[in-house]
Amino acid sequence: MKIEGEYTFDGPREDVWKLVRDPEVLATCLPGTQSLHLVGENEYEGEVNVHIGPIAGVFSGRLLVSNEVPPESCTLTGEGKGKPGFVNGTGNVQLFEQGDNKTLMKYAGEVQIGGRLASVGQRMIDTVSKSMIRQGLGTLNDAIKARAVARAEAKEVEYTPPSETEFAAAVTKDLAGGLFSSKRFVWLALAVIAVILLVTIWLVVR
Amino acid sequence: MIMTKKFIGKRIVRNEDPQLLTGQALFVDDVEIPGMLHAAFLRSDYAHARLLSIDVSAARQRPGVVAVFTAEDMGDDWQPGPPLVSPPPTAKDVIFYSRRQVPLVKDKVRHAGEAIAVVIAESRYIAEDAVEDILIELEPLEAVVDLEKGLEAGSPLVHDDLESNLAAHLFQKKGDYEEARSKADLVIKRRIIIDRGAASAMENRGIVAHWEAKSQHLTIWDTTQAPIPIRNGTAARLGLSEHQVRVIAPFIGGGFGPKMMMFYAEEMVIPWVSKKLNRPIKWIEDRRENFYATTQERGQIHDVEIALSSDGHILGLKDVFLHDTGAYDPYGLTIPLNTQCHTMGGYDVKNFTTEVSVVFTNKTLVTPVRGAGRPQGIFIIERLLDIASKELGIDLVEIRKRNLIPPDAFPYEHKIIDQAFAPLILDSGNYWPVMEKALEMIGYEEFVKDEQPRLRKEGKYVGIGFAPFIESTGVGPYEGARVTVEASGKISVATGIGTQGQGHFTAFAQIVAEQVGVAVKDVRIVTGDTTEFHWGTGTFASRGAVVAGNAIHAASSIVRKKILELASKVLETPIDELELDDGLVRVVDIPHKTISLGELALLANPLRGAVEPGTEPGLEATAYFGPNYGATAFGTHAMILEVDPETMMIKIKRYVTVEDCGTVLNPLILEGQIHGGVSMGIGNAYYEQLHFDENGQLLNASFADYLIPSATEIPRIEVGHVETRSSLNELGTKGVGEAGTIPVPALFAQAIENALYNQELEILEMPLSPNRLFELLNK
Repeated sequence: MKIEGEYTFDGPREDVWKLVRDPEVLATCLPGTQSLHLVGENEYEGEVNVHIGPIAGVFSGRLLVSNEVPPESCTLTGEGKGKPGFVNGTGNVQLFEQGDNKTLMKYAGEVQIGGRLASVGQRMIDTVSKSMIRQGLGTLNDAIKARAVARAEAKEVEYTPPSETEFAAAVTKDLAGGLFSSKRFVWLALAVIAVILLVTIWLVVR
Repeated sequence: MIMTKKFIGKRIVRNEDPQLLTGQALFVDDVEIPGMLHAAFLRSDYAHARLLSIDVSAARQRPGVVAVFTAEDMGDDWQPGPPLVSPPPTAKDVIFYSRRQVPLVKDKVRHAGEAIAVVIAESRYIAEDAVEDILIELEPLEAVVDLEKGLEAGSPLVHDDLESNLAAHLFQKKGDYEEARSKADLVIKRRIIIDRGAASAMENRGIVAHWEAKSQHLTIWDTTQAPIPIRNGTAARLGLSEHQVRVIAPFIGGGFGPKMMMFYAEEMVIPWVSKKLNRPIKWIEDRRENFYATTQERGQIHDVEIALSSDGHILGLKDVFLHDTGAYDPYGLTIPLNTQCHTMGGYDVKNFTTEVSVVFTNKTLVTPVRGAGRPQGIFIIERLLDIASKELGIDLVEIRKRNLIPPDAFPYEHKIIDQAFAPLILDSGNYWPVMEKALEMIGYEEFVKDEQPRLRKEGKYVGIGFAPFIESTGVGPYEGARVTVEASGKISVATGIGTQGQGHFTAFAQIVAEQVGVAVKDVRIVTGDTTEFHWGTGTFASRGAVVAGNAIHAASSIVRKKILELASKVLETPIDELELDDGLVRVVDIPHKTISLGELALLANPLRGAVEPGTEPGLEATAYFGPNYGATAFGTHAMILEVDPETMMIKIKRYVTVEDCGTVLNPLILEGQIHGGVSMGIGNAYYEQLHFDENGQLLNASFADYLIPSATEIPRIEVGHVETRSSLNELGTKGVGEAGTIPVPALFAQAIENALYNQELEILEMPLSPNRLFELLNK
């Protein structure tokens, strides 16, 4: 599967770069991340909770940052595996100064998915992964804005990343949005939302 | 004495139905044994990967886990499965590399879902949890998915010890195609692609193995279509006598081919574990495992060429094709041979060359699935004739009629070899009346002349199609049966083949009843239990009713003779003055002078006195039947469908089939077979397709994404019969188990093109789907 896109951050390139390279921030912007540790100079290890339709489970894996040209670009290589299957991928991230305190991020990568994630989740994986990336980058942008505000006011950073539940709800909305665009599937979308909400609630209550 | 048929050919309701419908039939998962343990398999998420390390220590420590085994733990008992079919010895220059599936992966994973380790635990839940405790290190390798790329130099190799992914190569030739082509008025060349589907039996696979150390005996309940080969193979694998192993194939919820004598990994592992642990072990496949680990079929790419004269006569046919065999090829060349034998359909083709390259890929194994290579062959010839009809301006019916093998040409020898390595001979047939009847039943002429123009005026996209086909059935080597008259007067019959819903308990009972004159319900049939009968091969290739049926007929005829001989003595009446009816032997002219079969059975098995030297006790006989070659059935399907031009969804308005499968044993059961076959064919044509990505990952391994037709997609199916007896067996029967499936893709292609008459559309692939049809129209 190919992943490609861009996102504009409300902050200078240096700030974006720093945040992207901060494991704690990265962990918050990849909701479901249970842990992310720097284990080598450019290597992280961690665990992520993933929910895609009927598939849920913990992925453990590592992320390697290479070809680093701060604060312009880097290559990310990740591999993760867990009960629902595996995900391996490589991607390039580039940051461009846009002036006016804005930074454009371009990302492109190739992801290999296997196991139950591929065989049962295929229908939803495209929408869910796009949504997860968008949500994640949005969170990152919020963090950047929070830092900027804090710096301006010389205060502590006040920013709470969204909870896993909030994130799941947002993904559900996106998933439904994609389906609503073709009117024939309204009923299906409603059913999907209901089921995912139920699963989410169940997971939270548990 | 003239015998009018009293039971054969009658619509008799099935003996087995009360048991099945009230939930009283034994399926493998119903087997419960005290102390039974449960198995779950660790399967590869990767399609192609090197196994670097495996650590099962955590799994072994989980409470409730009894044992965990890897390939390493099997020691010398780790052996690949047996070759099921060897390459044809009669074909020249055949290349064949035999690579068989393994019990557990030792060095390299060759398809996603291949079993790597097995956990044995007190419950399936614990076993499944423990599977996740296993730490496994796999080094992913580039996967071989595409057939053409797989044969290119530099392609990754599925089997490292081979020079390429070529599993087999076979060339067959009849006449001289090149010469025929040079005289042709029209040559049509096309590329035709047929993709994979799953058999999707309602019941997944399952096996229970019970080794009893004290009696030194192994009992196996297995969802196999071929219990006898499984018994013999298991005994050989475990170093046991064949008589120490009993394989029972109880009621099975559908076979469709993948449950043949495969020796799947689980069939090799579970009995071995039972013997090792001295405990009964159960494994039941779940649906996801079924999508990965149960064999599939149909993937082929054909480059075909047909040479015709301007009056529509086929001068020659040439086919060069690739066949996907998946990761291993235990089933040899059965499927591509079937394809080769059906590419000429029921037509008088004098010049034919066919060349197949079989390719190993990192996908689930390919073995016959209902149709088994035949639908591909029929699709090709019917598509080519459809195109020729358009190019030459000859009516679709007429071009076929001109090429059908005439009735006086049978037996018709094709001069190539068939799947049983015997010369391809079409034993009997009278093709035109069958086609004509189907066209009549659907009202072809009136529809095309009156109704279709009217509907088109209303803006409806309504199409009609028809597709004739042949089906090679009832192949050898042989089957056998034992028929016994019991003291109760009821008849007991045992045969070696397994049963998966074909109505054997009724159709076979009718054959027996016909001979010995008892009610059908008084004949008790046992199938698929090696203790009851242990000679034979199995239920496949549409051969049950033909091969086992004729063996049962032969045994019943001998029993009939024994009954009459004994009755003649007892009643002091010559044999030709006796008749068998209602469980009695009666003197024809003195109706009250009778003796029951039960009394005769007792007399034939006395408790005192002496049995005459040279005679056998009881009214019992065992007999075998093995045909020289298979009987070829014929049929034509026709349908009218409507395409919704916006959604590309189709609605089948009418569906007609006419079958000629020789003597019909029971029309009710025959129609059931046809209904099921057509349903599967509709799936093959418009719904079912297994999608693999470039890494060999199956992307639609659930019934949410892999669509099998349901009641709403299946139309009412009208079935007509024509009977041309086979000359190859006494009953005159031919098989029909796969017939329903074979012509459906060809039929769909013609009918859809006919419906979308004002569009540029030439269908050269199967399966289709609404999406795919939309894409084709917008190309």
